[in-house]
Formats: sequence, structure tokens, C-alpha cells
Amino acid sequence: MQSMTLYVEKNSLIHKIDPISKLLFVVISIAISYIVPTISVVLGSVVISILLLIIGKVFRHILPIIGVSLILILSIIIVQGLFHPESKTPLFTLGGIVFYKEGISYALLLTLRVINMLCAFGVLILTTKPDELIETLIKKGMSPKLGYIFLSVLQIVPQMRATMGKITDAQRSRGMETQGNVWIRMKALFPLIGPVVLNSLNDTRERAIALEIRGFNAKGVKTFYNPSRNYPYRIAIKFGLILVLILAIVWRVWK
Amino acid sequence: MNIIRVEGLKYKYPHTDKLALDDLTFDIKKGEFIGIVGKNTAGKSTLCYALTGLVPHFFKGAYGGQVYVDDLEILKSDISDISLKAGLVFENPFSQMTGSKYTVAEEIAFGLENMGVDREEMITRINESLLLLDIEHIKDKNPFSLSGGQMQRLAIASVIAMRPDVLILDEPTSQLDPQGTEEVFKVVEKLTKEGITIIMAEHKIEKIAQYSDRVMLLHNGRLIDFDTPQKVFSREDILDFGVSPPIFTKICRVLNIRDANTDLYPVTLEQVPKKELTLSKETISKRR
Amino acid sequence: MNLIRVQDLSFSYGDNQMILQGLNLEFTEQTTAIIGQNGAGKTTFVKLLKGLLTPSSGDIFINNINTKELIAAKLAKYIGLVFQNPNDQIFKSKVIDEVMFGPLNIGYSEKESKEYAIEALELVGLSGEVDRNPYDLSLSQRKMITVASVLAMQTNIIIFDEPTMGQDYEGKEKLKEIMRRLHHNGKLVISILHDMDFVAEVFERTIVFNRGRVLMDGDTRSVFSKVEMLKGAYLDQPFVTQVGKQLGFAETFLNVDELVEYAVSREIHN
Repeated sequence: MQSMTLYVEKNSLIHKIDPISKLLFVVISIAISYIVPTISVVLGSVVISILLLIIGKVFRHILPIIGVSLILILSIIIVQGLFHPESKTPLFTLGGIVFYKEGISYALLLTLRVINMLCAFGVLILTTKPDELIETLIKKGMSPKLGYIFLSVLQIVPQMRATMGKITDAQRSRGMETQGNVWIRMKALFPLIGPVVLNSLNDTRERAIALEIRGFNAKGVKTFYNPSRNYPYRIAIKFGLILVLILAIVWRVWK
Repeated sequence: MNIIRVEGLKYKYPHTDKLALDDLTFDIKKGEFIGIVGKNTAGKSTLCYALTGLVPHFFKGAYGGQVYVDDLEILKSDISDISLKAGLVFENPFSQMTGSKYTVAEEIAFGLENMGVDREEMITRINESLLLLDIEHIKDKNPFSLSGGQMQRLAIASVIAMRPDVLILDEPTSQLDPQGTEEVFKVVEKLTKEGITIIMAEHKIEKIAQYSDRVMLLHNGRLIDFDTPQKVFSREDILDFGVSPPIFTKICRVLNIRDANTDLYPVTLEQVPKKELTLSKETISKRR
Repeated sequence: MNLIRVQDLSFSYGDNQMILQGLNLEFTEQTTAIIGQNGAGKTTFVKLLKGLLTPSSGDIFINNINTKELIAAKLAKYIGLVFQNPNDQIFKSKVIDEVMFGPLNIGYSEKESKEYAIEALELVGLSGEVDRNPYDLSLSQRKMITVASVLAMQTNIIIFDEPTMGQDYEGKEKLKEIMRRLHHNGKLVISILHDMDFVAEVFERTIVFNRGRVLMDGDTRSVFSKVEMLKGAYLDQPFVTQVGKQLGFAETFLNVDELVEYAVSREIHN
């Protein structure tokens, strides 16, 4: 039973960068795509993220994620291309429907923003171990309880999947059909919801007891088993990122 | 020296009418191995909770009487302080994993991190626990990839690392196969030799009879008896409390075979005489 | 009459590890226990019988129907399985509704289903709780509800998966009684168990699983007499058998009464 994280174990430069810097990168990358809303800048940000993903040897893992959001992207293009308020200049027609330049242009911007966000998150999520990220945040002052909740959700999901398996077996065993048309499948959900929810609640309560008796609610400063990792160029990277953000803001204000 | 003192303990869970624990009074000496028996709903789990402070601090409800673990009074102490004196392991190995740690060693470290133990000390204690529980060879594995027996041993290791004086186990082998059960009992025996006081609630009567110094019989939240295994299981009325004595005892009672040293019925295989039987005329006539 | 026939059954979950290898077994009306350590393949075997899993190779015939030809929901008419954890199953807010779920699914009318449900609840001792919410009852009682849910389906084969887990003395005695009654009513009762004394007392035939194969298969007495083979499967003899040995008897005893009778009659003959 492995945990459900997107982290990909590789030995790259990006993996060695401090999680907080990567988190900062995500925030700034997304911010810039709004502060400087030109296609060229956002495209540039996307290219940078892609470069980082390639250096991090995890580029091919972002493709399925983008693939999944293709539907969203397509709907953006259609909606904006047809119905953007400033539509004046027709660009092309497809099967009798006219797509306008302004709309397509805007759609391109939105699409690039989505891809930019996904790629930036990819740089963080694909190259950072979740517990490392959380532990670093806790060391900076985030509540350990919040961190625990986040991490345990990641680990518990595979167990819930297994419980779902047991529950489905039990109900199929009593003649409940699970294969067939949509209606049959929907009916099959009802006998599953109750036990799944109840099992999770029970599990959660037992786990809460286990945590309590291992001092989870103890007052006082907590220590860490994992040694503090040394991240190269931590300060330089953060400084550089913040500089870029400031430049972007300045450009915007100046405009 | 008494490590646990209970005086007039009474407890009722919230929104219930019945007392889950009804006027319990007893002492436990340091280093003893105590078995708790009784039918389901007798109050075994509730008593385990009461010795760790979960009752009343986690479960709330109506509480009366006093419970002392070493010098701490349960009612007046935090669960986290009590956890340094008394640790608890329960039935389901899976729900005792924190879920936020990726290796066995880190899992053991969790309690120590919470208590602010410094890193060097942490490493020492983790290694100690790994060796004691015989899980050193899997210290880098993901806790959720372990077998039931291994996971339960990890749960014990995580609690032991906090160096409590008392280890309480609530039906720890219920969900394990015979091998897993054997592993847990072997480990608990080792711990008892290290001087840790063990309190174990169990249905596996033959095992309880084998390991316990004294056995506590609970029924409807009341303390019916608290004595040596032979004394408790030799009781004529034991079945009335929903507890079946060890098979050895059942057989010896019918055949009137007694332990030469105590004149009570044997409760373990070792206590059953190895020689050829000579049954009294009385026993034979009873059967005819 | 072969109720279940297993031919050359092998199974693996896809990767290289074979969970079950080349099993050949036949089941008639004898009460049968399946024992072995966790991981030996017992639960997997039982799931295959129920059609919840499909054999990787080989065949299983339930009442002469090949399990590959029917989905699990349809096989449920012939073979029932009581799962370990009642919380994995109970979802209705009234006991009677929960127990009627099974028979309704497999095609019995509302009237028939209710009749069978009430009958089943009687057998497990819960006739007085018919309209109550299952979650207001104790865990032991909920366990009995899951047993009743399967009995109500009127299958002629009933499998129990570790029914004694977490049960106290009274719970176990009730289970023994239910299994005996089922056998008396002509049902084939199969159970996976870890409690050797329970097996010795109730089951005529015992199959020992070890590493995906059948290590021993025969009448319970002869299986439990083979100490060394049992040890090889990480199993012990029942306690009552161990006492017999300790007292110097050569026989393999399966319950307290047997041992006592033997001891007394030997004495009389001396």
C-alpha cells in the first residue's frame, strides 16, 4: 500500500531546491500572469516552468495533468471565441459559426494562464516530498496540526480505496449488481456510501485517540527527527524571485 | 510499590444511562503482568481508557473516584503528561498509524517529536524500540506496507519509545493470525522482563492464564475478582460472567486433577501433570 | 453430490506472485474448516468461490455452474459469504430492511424476502430487534445481523470468514449453535478460522492452506494429529488435543467431553 502523492523520485537540481523557494515560485509565477496580462509574458512564464520541469526530469509527468484539463481549455476557447463582449473582427469560420479575433486572443491568454498554473504547481508537487514540504512549513511556524491533517489525507486515500473494495465485495456478495448501465451503477452507490462514511469516521476517531496518547496535544516546542536539510542558493533564489515580482509590479504601475 | 492506584472509580459515557465502570477499587504493583477478562461490554476497554486519561479527558462523560498512575492523578493531568507514564495499544493496528510518516523509524519518532525530546536522545530511543520489538530490519519501510503483526509491533514500539512505566494493551491480537498473535505475546513477555508493568485485556484465555501474575474479572463495569489465574479460573461461577476458563481448567475440573502446589485447578498446559492419571472413584461415579 | 468442484485453480493479482497454485478440491455436505496463516490464500480462495474474483486459470463449479459464466450478483443465489466486519456492510436503518436486502436483490418477492428475513433473525437470536436501527445494537449483535443477512438468501452453501474474531465466549457458543443448525438443515457450511478448538469441535473436515497450496485435507481428527505438518504451516494443535498428549494418551481428542469419557472409561477398565 503506497501513498497517493504525485512526487516523482529523481536526482535532479530542482529536487535539491528548498521547498519554500519552489512554493514562492508558484505564487509569483501565477501572480505575474495576472499582473502583466500579455500573452508574451505569460508564455514566457510557461516556458520557464517547462524548462524547470525538464531539468527536474519530470516533464512527462505533467502531460497527463494537462491532458485532463484539455476539456476545460477547449471550453474556454469556444466560449470566449464566440461570445467575448468586444468581438468585432472575425478571424475564421467553422461550420457556419464565426470565431472572433478578440475572443480567440483572450482565450489564448486564459489558456496560457491555466497551463502556467499547472506547470508551476508541477514544479513544486512533482519534485518535492510532501512530508518535507510540510515539515519545512512547520519549522517556519505553520501549525503542526494543519500539516498533520494534510499529510494524513494523502496517506489515507489508498486505504479508503481498499475499504471501498471490501464494502463493494460485501454488497456484491448480497446480489447487488455493479456492472451495467448508468442507472444500475448509480443504484449501486447507495449501499456503499453509508459504510464508507461510517468506516472513515470510526477510523478517524480511533486515529485521534492514537494521536492523543502520543502527545499530539502536548504544549511546548516540538522537535524534529529528520535533520535540517541544507538547500543550495536558498537565499539567492528567493531574492531573485521577489525581484522579478517587484519588477512586474513596477511595470504595471508605470503603465 | 504500587504503580497504579484506583479508588472508587465510576464512569458513565455521555448520553448513556448505565455506568460503564461501577465503583472500582484496586492496586497494581510495579512490574506485574495483569490480565483483564470479561465478556464484551464488561468494561475492559473503558478501564483501559481510564488508566490513560482518555476517560474522562477525551470521552468526557460523568466521572467519579480517583485514579493514580505513579504520582499523577488522572483527573488533574493532561493526556500528554499521562502518556509518559502509561501507554496504550489497541485492537486495530492500522488506525494506530499516524498516516503522516513515511517510514517505520519516523513513525516511532512521532511521539518523541511531540514531547520535544532532543534529536540525539530520539535516535537512541528509536533504535532501542526497534531492537526490542524486533523490527530493525524494516525500519525504512512504509508503515502501511507491513503485515498485521508487524504493524501492531510498530504500534507498540511507538508507544514504548516514550518510556512509559505501564503498557496497556486492549485486545491487541484480536485482528491477528496465530503467528501475529505469537509475535505480540513474545514481545510483551520481553517487555515484562525489562520491568515494564503490563495490563492486557484479552479473550484468548489460555494465553492470559499463561502470562498473567494476576487476573482481573470484570462484569457490567464491576470488579468481580482480582487474583492469581488459578484462583480466578477455578471459580465455580466463572461461566456466569460470560468467561470460559482455559480448556486445561475445564478438563481438570471434570477429572478432578489439581495442581499439587496450590490444590487449585491447573490453568496452563505446564501445570497439567504429565503422568498417567489415577481418577478417584468419586470422579468416575459422577460421570456414570 | 458435489456442491463445489475446484479444478486446477490458479490465481494471481497480475504481478508475478502466485497467490493460489493448481488447487483441486471437491466439497460435499461435510462441514469444512479452512485454516492456515494470513497470506496463505484462504480469503482469496473464498472470494474466487463467490465469483468476486476470476480465476487466472482453472475452473470453479458451484452446483455445476462454472463461476466464469455468472457475475457475483447472480452467483449469490447459490453461495453466501459472511464477511468479517459488519461495519463494511450494514447501511439500512432498520434491521429487517438490512436482512431483506439480499433476498430482494436475488429475486425473491417482498413477501418471501420478509419471511426468510424473520426466519433468519430467529435463528441468530435477534427476533426482538426487528425494527431497531442496527447501529443502536452492539458489535456482537451487528455481527449476527450480517449472518442473518446471508441466511435469509436461502443459499445451500454458506461460507464464514473468520467469524470468531473479537467474539467472547457467548458469541462463540452462539455461532457453534448456528453452524450446527445449518448443517442439520442440509446446508454446506465452510469457514475460515484461527481458533483451532472451535474447528475441532464443529467441523468434520479440515483443509490446511500453506503458501497458496493445500497442505492437508481430510477429516479433522487426522489433520490435527499431524503435529509436525501443522507446525510447518505455523499452526498449533487445539488445546484439548495438547492436553490429551500431556496426560499421556495416544489419541487425538477434539473436544473436552471426548477426552473425559476416554479417561474415565480407561480407569474403569483398569
